[in-house]
Amino acid sequence: MAMPTPVPVSHPLPYTDAKPVGAADFYTAINATFRFIFNRFGREGLLRYWRELGTNYYAPVSQQWSEGGLHAVAEYWRAFFAAEPAAEVEVTQTADEVCVKVLTCPAIKHLRAQGREIVPYFCQQCHFVSEAIAEPAGFTVRVQGGNGSCEQRFVKRGCGTQSQRMEDIATAS
Amino acid sequence: MIGCYDFCGHYEWTFGWLEQLGGHDLVRDYWLEAISKDAQIHAEELIVNHGIEGMRRYWEHTLEEEAADHVMTSTDKVYRIDMHQCPSKGFLIRNGLNQYRDYCDHCMGWIGPMMVKAGFVVDHEHNHCGQCWWEMRKADDPTPPSEMGELSGKNDVRLRDDWKQPNTDHYDRSTDSDDKSTLP
Repeated sequence: MAMPTPVPVSHPLPYTDAKPVGAADFYTAINATFRFIFNRFGREGLLRYWRELGTNYYAPVSQQWSEGGLHAVAEYWRAFFAAEPAAEVEVTQTADEVCVKVLTCPAIKHLRAQGREIVPYFCQQCHFVSEAIAEPAGFTVRVQGGNGSCEQRFVKRGCGTQSQRMEDIATAS
Repeated sequence: MIGCYDFCGHYEWTFGWLEQLGGHDLVRDYWLEAISKDAQIHAEELIVNHGIEGMRRYWEHTLEEEAADHVMTSTDKVYRIDMHQCPSKGFLIRNGLNQYRDYCDHCMGWIGPMMVKAGFVVDHEHNHCGQCWWEMRKADDPTPPSEMGELSGKNDVRLRDDWKQPNTDHYDRSTDSDDKSTLP
């Protein structure tokens, strides 16, 4: 599949909209997409979807992180969550990592408010998609928590970080 | 995290990914099972139970949230949307995203099956440039689609100077994304 060719922008987000914040109802489609792919192709199919989405659709993000380093990582996540409705996030940067502390996950919050059945593996997207974005840029991600709030650390590869433990990512409900 | 701000971008990318994996039928199944019967169950509840009033309530909310430049017109017999700037297709055009051959088909892909359940048929055209119109009528109502300006007056999208585009897709009393003809 050909890689997207986004319009050149200086914005931290490679794809920008005319409105400042996204429509929360789309979280129901994201949740349903995960369920559909998992039911048809199992866990391996869903992991493949997340990885290829990260590698292809989000390739411009990898490029920004590769060129801009940790500062670009931090700016991306600040802009990303500013455009997600009802998100509450703290982003901090040190010499070796960016820590994204998600106090209120906008997706989980909306899905719960709508009474939707959230797929239990929903929060694993934040590891697999982000890892596919981060790896070509020289970073790796570790996710701790989930199901409404979590901590995501974007660390320079080779800094001795332990592997992601799937049990550290909460089951969503 | 996959966000809702650029949803239309990764949604369209997903169509192409699914088509590569399982062909056209898999994309159709996705629109039916994941979107029509799962993500949009709130739309189904309104439309199947309340007909045209349900359509008005559903699209009034969702098109407002998506900041769509549109006009809705309804009577007790027909529900019409004139979409002047589709926020979804507009996002793709502005960002140069084009992974799937006809993004606009997804609307009929999830709305069509819902209309079957609600007992409606759809007259519809989209010009692939962010403009389209829809008319929903009960399946047993033989009334043809309105003439230009007849239902929505000056707001009829077909009156726009840029409405006529090559390869505009046309649906006639349809409920299936593939049941279309292409106007030259």
